This record gives sequence, C-alpha cells and structure tokens, in this order.
Amino acid sequence: MSMLHASHVNDAPSAGTTAPPTASLMRWVIVATLPGIIAMTYCFGLGVLSNIVLAAAFGVLLESGVLYLRKHPIVPALNDSSALLTGVLLGASLPPASPWWLIGVGMIAAVVIAKQLYGGLGHNPFNPAMVGYALLLVSFPTYMTLWAPPQPLISDTLWPQIMGALPIADIDTLSGATPLDAFKQKAQGLSAYQFWASGTLADGTLEAWRFISLAWLAGGVLLLFKRIISWHIPAALLGSLLIMATLFYMADADEFASPVFHLLTGATLFGAFFIATDPVSAATSRRGKLLYGVGIGVLIIVIRNLGGYPDAVAFAVLLMNLCVPLIDLYTVPRPVGHSKGTAGAPR
Amino acid sequence: MTLSFDFPGGIYPPERKVRSSQASLQRAPLPERVSLPLRQHSGRPAVACVSPGDSVQVGSLIAKRNGLISAHVHASISGTVTHISGNDIQIESDRQDTWHTLAPLNWRDTDAGTLLARLDESGVVGLGGAGFPTPVKARVIARHAIDTLIVNAAECEPYITADDITLQRYPDDVLEGAQLIASLCGAEQIIIGIEDNKPEAIAALTQAVGRSQPVSVTLTVIPTRYPSGSEKLLIKTLLNRTVPSQGLPADVGALCHNPGTLLAALNAVRAGQPLVERIVTLTGDAIARPGNYWVRLGTSIETLLTHAGLDTDRLSSVIQGGPMMGETLDTLKRPVVKTTNCLIAATHAELPSGPQEAPCIRCGACESVCPVQLLPQQLHWYARAQEDDKLERYHLFDCIECGACSYVCPSHIPLVEDYREAKSRLRYQQIETAKAEHAKHRFEFRQARLAREEAEKQARRHARLAQTKPSISNNRADAAAHPAPSTMPSANPQADLRSLRIAQSAAKAAVRKAEKVLAREAQQAPHESHEDLETQLATARENLKVADLQLAQARENAQISTEDSP
Repeated sequence: MSMLHASHVNDAPSAGTTAPPTASLMRWVIVATLPGIIAMTYCFGLGVLSNIVLAAAFGVLLESGVLYLRKHPIVPALNDSSALLTGVLLGASLPPASPWWLIGVGMIAAVVIAKQLYGGLGHNPFNPAMVGYALLLVSFPTYMTLWAPPQPLISDTLWPQIMGALPIADIDTLSGATPLDAFKQKAQGLSAYQFWASGTLADGTLEAWRFISLAWLAGGVLLLFKRIISWHIPAALLGSLLIMATLFYMADADEFASPVFHLLTGATLFGAFFIATDPVSAATSRRGKLLYGVGIGVLIIVIRNLGGYPDAVAFAVLLMNLCVPLIDLYTVPRPVGHSKGTAGAPR
Repeated sequence: MTLSFDFPGGIYPPERKVRSSQASLQRAPLPERVSLPLRQHSGRPAVACVSPGDSVQVGSLIAKRNGLISAHVHASISGTVTHISGNDIQIESDRQDTWHTLAPLNWRDTDAGTLLARLDESGVVGLGGAGFPTPVKARVIARHAIDTLIVNAAECEPYITADDITLQRYPDDVLEGAQLIASLCGAEQIIIGIEDNKPEAIAALTQAVGRSQPVSVTLTVIPTRYPSGSEKLLIKTLLNRTVPSQGLPADVGALCHNPGTLLAALNAVRAGQPLVERIVTLTGDAIARPGNYWVRLGTSIETLLTHAGLDTDRLSSVIQGGPMMGETLDTLKRPVVKTTNCLIAATHAELPSGPQEAPCIRCGACESVCPVQLLPQQLHWYARAQEDDKLERYHLFDCIECGACSYVCPSHIPLVEDYREAKSRLRYQQIETAKAEHAKHRFEFRQARLAREEAEKQARRHARLAQTKPSISNNRADAAAHPAPSTMPSANPQADLRSLRIAQSAAKAAVRKAEKVLAREAQQAPHESHEDLETQLATARENLKVADLQLAQARENAQISTEDSP
C-alpha cells in the first residue's frame, strides 16, 4: 500500500505535473471557465451571469436536497464542487437572461435525474449538464433557440426576462439567432457569399461568437496545462470536426459552412474542452478517448449540416456517452507481457 | 553503457534518499537477544533443528529448509537458544560472538554442484524484498537457457539506499558475486541496471566493471523513474525483452539479482559465512542518525531504531520496505529478517495519512501511470463490485502492485489495497474449487474401485458356476437369478456386446488421456504434487478394468448364446 501520495509531497520532481485532488480538480475547471464567462458577459450582458449564478445555486440546493433524501453526508459531496460545476456549465450554455424556471427545470434534469438518481458523482453515464440542456432544447425550443444579439452589459429587460415576466412575443423581438442558426435557416439557393452580404445577422454577432470561442479555448489550454484534462478528447474532437466540415464544405461550399465557421461559432470549443472532457461520462482508456472524441466531432458536423438542430454539441456528447460502454469494451489496452493474440478485447 | 528502452507509465515520487545515503555504512551493535522467524523467505517455513538450552555460535544451523522452495535459518549471534515456537527461535547472547563458518571455497575451481549446495547450506535468499531462495533460482537452467544475468541496482523506491551503499562500498565483491551466479546459470553477459540518481555507486561500478572477469559486464544507467526496478520492467528497459504474462524472467533468458544477494552469495562461498546479517537502511524524520547499518538478522526493530536515535514523540508510523510497496508495522517488537531492506520511522509531516476517499471520477490519471498498461479505474470498479470474471478479463493478475495508481489518484482511493484484496479472494476461490474438484475425483475413484471389485466378484462367481454347472440352461437361469448389468443377457446380445466394446475402448482412451496429462504436468512442474491427476488416472484405470471384465463376460455369454441357438 502506497504510503506516499502525490498531493502530499512538495519535494517530488513530479510536483505540479500530476493532477490535483478531485475537489480542487473541479474547482480548477470552474476557474478555467472564467475567460469564457467573462467574454460572454462582455458580449451578451449580465444575463449570462444571472444564468450561471442561478444554475449554480439550483445545483447546490438540489444536490443537498437529494443527498439529504438519500441520507448521504452532504458536506463532503458539496465540497467536491461538482454540482456547482454542472450549474456553471449549464448556465453558460443557455441563452442569456433565461427565465429562472427554465434554469430550474434544466438543473433538476441535470443534477437530480442525470446524476444523483444514477448514484451521484462518478456513477452518471450521461453528462449531467448536457442532459439538462437537451431536455430544455426539446421541451422549450422557443426559449432555447432565441439568442439575443450582442448588447450592452445591462439591458432594460434583464429583470423581467429573468423573472419570466416578459411575454414570449417580446422575447421574440428582442432576440436574434445564433450564427449557426441563421446560416442553417438561410434561403434555399442563396450562396454563402450572398448570405454574409445580406446582413441577416446583427452587426458584430459573428465577431462576438469568435471572441467567446477563443476565450473558451484559453480556458481549455489552462486545463491542459494544469493536467486536469488530457489532450486526447479535445484533439480528436476538433480534428475530426475540421475534417468532416472540410469534406462537406468541399462538396458544396454554398450549402455548408466553412470549417473555420464550425470551429469558431456555436459551442464547438466550449464543448471540446469543457463538456466532452467530463471524465465520468467519457471513455476511459486513451485509445477509447480518441475514438470518443472522433465520434463527437463527426456527430456535431453531421447533425449541424444534415439534422434539424442548429447546434449539436449536446446531442453529439449524449450519443457518444451511450457508446462509452461499447468503446470501453473494445479499447482495453494490451498489458505488458501479453502477446497480440492472447489479450485484446475482453469478450 | 548501452541503450536503454522504455516502459509505459511510471511516476516521479520524491526520492528522499539523501538523508540515508550521505552517512557512512556502520555496524549496528550486537543485539542482546535475537528472534529468528522460521519463515524469512518465500515458500515454506524452515523446521527448527535445535532445542531450548542448546548453545549456538554465529552461523550454526538452527532451522532446516522444508521442501524445495524454502531456506535454512542460522543463528545470528552466539549464545543459548531460549525459546522455540511455531514461528520463531529466540537466542540469548553470550556476548562472545564466536563464529561457526563453513570451509572457504574458491568458486572458480569448484564444481557447480558444490557451489549450489553451499548456497543452499548458507540459507541465501533474495535480499531485495521477495526472499526467493537463491540456489533454486540458480537451478533454473535445468529448464531454461539463460544468457543474461541482470544486477538489479535500480532501487527505484523512495528512501531506500541499501543497494546504493552496498555498491559504493563493495563494488568488486558484488561483481564477483555476479560472476559466481553467472557461472552457475551459464549467463554470457552481466548487465547492471542502475538509476541515474546514484552517482557515487555509478562511479564505483565504472571502476570495477573493467576488473571483473570472465563474463563481460555492462553498466547501464537508466533514467530515474518509479518503478524501473520492477523485475519485468527492468528486463524490458535493459534488454527490450518482454517477459510473458504469468511468466518468469527465465522465459526470456534473463535472471535478476539484487546487489545485496550477490554479496551474500559471495560471502557464503568465499568466506563460508551463512546469511546472518544484512545491510538495512534506517531512515525517516523521526530518527536522529539515519543511514545504512550492517544488522544481525533477528535484531528487534525497536532496538535498532532506538540505536539510530528514535524520537518516539515525533514518530507517526514505521514502514518496513519502501513507502510505495512496503508495509506499515503495527508493532516495533518485530525482528529484522532476510528481506528487511529498509525501515522508515516517519513523522506525520513526511507521510501524512490520506484524506477521506472520494468517488472515482474516471479521470484516467491512474491509467496514464500504470507501467503494465492496465486500466486501474476499471479494475477498481470491478474489485469493489466483486465482478470476478471482469477482473480477470481486465488482467488483474498482471498488476505488479507498484502503487503508482494510488500515488496519483486525485480521489485518494487506495487502489492497490483493493487489488490485493481481490487477488487473494480469487486465489482463495481457486484453491477452494481445486479442493472440491479433488474431493469429487476421490469420490469417483472410490466408486470406480467398488464397481471394479463388484465386477471381479461377478466374474469369479461366473467362472465358478461355469465350472461346477456346465449345463447351459442352469447357467442362464443362474445368470437371470443374479441380475447384474454385465451379466444380464439382453434381448439382443450382439448389440450389448457392441456397446460394451465401445465402452471398453472409451475407457482405454480415457486412461491414455489421463496418462498424457499427468506426464505433461509432471514435466512442467516436476517438484509439485500431482495427486489430483494421479487420482484421475487411477479412476480411469479402474474403469478400464471394469469395462474389460464386463466385455469378457459378455463375450462368453454371447458365445454361449450362439452355441445355444440352433
């Protein structure tokens, strides 16, 4: 039994090269979301922060409630910050200034159903934040697909929006569409060039999305640097996404958006570094992680280009979560000392 | 220096070797009394061959090896045997320290048989930790061709510096010991594998390598990375050969020995000194004078640590072995044994107890450090769920228990503990299954023997009847009056005969098969008992006898019935 542990030693040559303990691991992920959150707030106003604060609060409350009902110790579980993180991730995925009840419903799906009912941290087969997101997208498409154009920090309607007091028609007039949505909805026969020239998107929308994507990328690099995530999933995801997008783009440059567009708008980079890398619901071996990432990248482009939804990170991640047991089964590494014939995949 | 190859994973724990490697090698004071366990080696415990009251000298044989994988135990001080229990022999010192040594031998002009006998007589076992009897290891050439002797001087565990000091102080003797073992196992080359964090030992060896004769010696300095000193990994690093799963180094033509073992082997041969003392690293922040000490086996750990300046107020735990794979001692009353390479008297600050275990989040940190490329996170899951078939499919038994996974686990899960528990549970199950199988086979043998006796009785009665009453009708009536499966004439004697003939050839085939299996097993493991297979063979033979008798009888009956028919 090892009496030494990486987290207790400060005289190790490896100090700082191993992952921090689970609880601070979660907190580091939260820290790494800050650039993305700040960029989003800068572009879309305080509605982003209200989403995140509400979702995080719901997360902690719901987790405590379920733990109480399950008669599990509450403090240690809250200490790992995983419910907080789920809240931050779901909050960052929702359209700015979403009504409180929408966030509440999403968090119930995420924390209560997707996580705690499966046994809590470490036992959930699906990414909790994405379960919440997918449920909201399917159940409340009106709220979920309307994304306000870039706006000042504090808008006049922020409070009524959060309180859910704004009539849906008003929301409609306030909101625009995401670039992905707009491009998907462009008129048949309109060339890509004509679309961009038409000014369907409000000024600065595309730039805002690119800026936010790069901010998420910065957070992702921090995670990689701190060894909190490994490069396998993001690299495989982004690589396969670019290849798929290029293939579509080469087939029909007017119908399908460019690889760079796919990379820098929507939730691609956020998903690649913060969602797909959730270790609990991802494949476990290194080879498995590569396969898992490739699957998500391919699915994102297939759903975006051929499916009915403008963005696809949530569905792609959930679909690949489904495949994890299979991937794990067929990617068991061959231990040292086993020849190719004898080890391989367990039945 | 030759090229070294890579193994997967590995960690870089703090080395903490300096505090014990800087002090010079000293002799621990002679203990007043020693307690020598009968089992200081892998295999069966030795059997005491002295009685309380006997006076012994240093090196007197006090317990004899029991079975092949076992080793002699010798008195490590001169004095009187005071107590013998089932586990150990205690000796009270007479403070004379008189020695009883064997005749010195020059290994270069002594035959292998004598040398092996000497190693056996001297109770030499592997001093690295496992304590495998050295002569048994040397005899491996009976079944394997060995081309390389590896001196495992990696000493990759933190804290331990016993091999480092041994090599610094006795480089020529260690190499001479290596030459001795190389000549016994027929190795054509000797490779020393040493981590690059031991510059003094490397310098001493570089000098000594050129002087070592006759087998060529190569010094390979490998990067410091835990667990490079694990036998199979070291063979991979030095020779780029992969020892098969469940296999031995000898399967790839290599033997590994620890420097301390080689020194002990040389002393046993050259000086005729049985294994009665060893170099032990005493270290940890709770002792004032850390360093390496020559210690007589059987010395109490408490005495030894006190001598090194133990501060009981600061002491939090004592670890025997390294901090990665060693064990925490629950009492200091235990003696130093042949496999004690290091004692760490740790303060709470240097080895704090871990925080509470958190759930596994499958982050994969363990997987990335596993040197044998297992999936520790999956094994953890299945070990806790006791899914035994999954454990075997995920290669639990390939785990070398190095503890790298536990070291990095962000959730502080004691993974190796889980694996050890699962392994022992599975081994226990295997033993229980084998026992049940054996019981079944013994029962089958008994049944077969009873059937054979019954058949013989029938045959005798049949013969007697045939003699006394040659009349056919009587004979048949008698046969009908004593119904037995073999003698009962059926409606179709021809078909009966045929099925009996088939049964007899099947029984013959079963005997041949049982013989073959037993012969193969006996060749593969000549020193183990094959009682179960022997029982199975005996059962098959009994069955064959029954089938023979029944067939013979049925043939007779058939003859009679053909004579009977018009």
